[in-house]
Amino acid sequence: MSQHSKEWLTQTLRQMLVIRTFEETADKLTLRGKVPGGMHNSSGQEAVAVGSMSALAADDVIATTHRSHHHTLAKGFTAKEVMAELFTKATGCSRGRGGSMHLGDFHRGHFGGNGIVGAGVGIGMGAALGIKQLGHKKVSVGFVGDGGMNTGRTWEAINMAVIYKLPYIIVVDNNQYAVETFVDRVTGGKDIAKRAAGFGLPSYTINGQNVLEVHQYVSEARERALKGEGPTFINALTYRYYGHNVGEKGQYRTQDEIADWRQNRDPIDGFSSHLISEGVITADAFEAMKADVTKEIDEAVAFAESSPEPDPASIMVDVDSGLLGVSK
Amino acid sequence: MEEIFVPALGMAMDNAVLLEWQKNPGDAVNAGDVIAIIETDKTTMEINAETSGTLGKHRYVANDEVPAGNTITVVLAPGESE
Repeated sequence: MSQHSKEWLTQTLRQMLVIRTFEETADKLTLRGKVPGGMHNSSGQEAVAVGSMSALAADDVIATTHRSHHHTLAKGFTAKEVMAELFTKATGCSRGRGGSMHLGDFHRGHFGGNGIVGAGVGIGMGAALGIKQLGHKKVSVGFVGDGGMNTGRTWEAINMAVIYKLPYIIVVDNNQYAVETFVDRVTGGKDIAKRAAGFGLPSYTINGQNVLEVHQYVSEARERALKGEGPTFINALTYRYYGHNVGEKGQYRTQDEIADWRQNRDPIDGFSSHLISEGVITADAFEAMKADVTKEIDEAVAFAESSPEPDPASIMVDVDSGLLGVSK
Repeated sequence: MEEIFVPALGMAMDNAVLLEWQKNPGDAVNAGDVIAIIETDKTTMEINAETSGTLGKHRYVANDEVPAGNTITVVLAPGESE
């Protein structure tokens, strides 16, 4: 960890805390009916998002999944604009048209969440193809869940990335459950990194609860991609603390299993303890950071609550290019 | 004071039916106790208290339709009142 500055390490911890606090807060608001369409809570998966995004440049592209709050916040979107989008307000990052599952902004290298299993891999691959065709010096990252490992489009996209040597990184945000289905029950051969290796690209299974490990693997993959050496597959093992969607009546895993991951493998607890024991931050500073983050999220909620609904007159904005003469 | 409310579950839940109360106003409540049972368009479920205390007034009666997100009662900590 010596290659990281104190500021970087502190900021990395804070970013994970922002995501956790955002999700815990948004979850409660969803149960209160404030989030149209509901949401997918990413609590527990912070290190995959922050480890990945901290290895990228601001103009690198990401494409994500139905569970995308953590990716979006880690990409540098503010809690205010993401919370406002959950509330489908005009001030949201997708101008209130997307909601929780369609966060994004092409101009900031975020090619969106989506509701299609495995689609992030295809969208991210398309972005990588575009980057290569245009000769840009950047990379694309496609996020996918374990559920997307058993759908055809995923492997078509990975195959294409390999044969064209695209500047592409596939990150499996592997929380081990596809809605209610445990990954091992539905995955032939069980080892998805081995499956990926069969397509001819460097493939790894890593500890997705360790933010520095995720950062290191994604950084190395990015360097290979920029050198023209093609894509990398990273299977990051993680865990979600809540249901597939907020309000789920979860009866497919034990409370003991959830408690074990929370108590023994929590990405924030692990990283904060590490930084405190290494003298990077003090326990007091960590408590102050928590309070500061809570304030930031409270402000995001107030901003979302007080923001206006999208104006119906703006309905055609972003729908056509202007050539039809209907955009204002 | 903990507000006990009907959670908005799933993608498009508007209302739930309050099937029955399991605790009455003034009853002692322990964290985890079932306060009421509701029925949504998909399932029947228990609404639990997260804190301990004394139950406040029932804001709905059995068989009422309750909009998702609405508070149906509160759990009062010692010294608190509604």
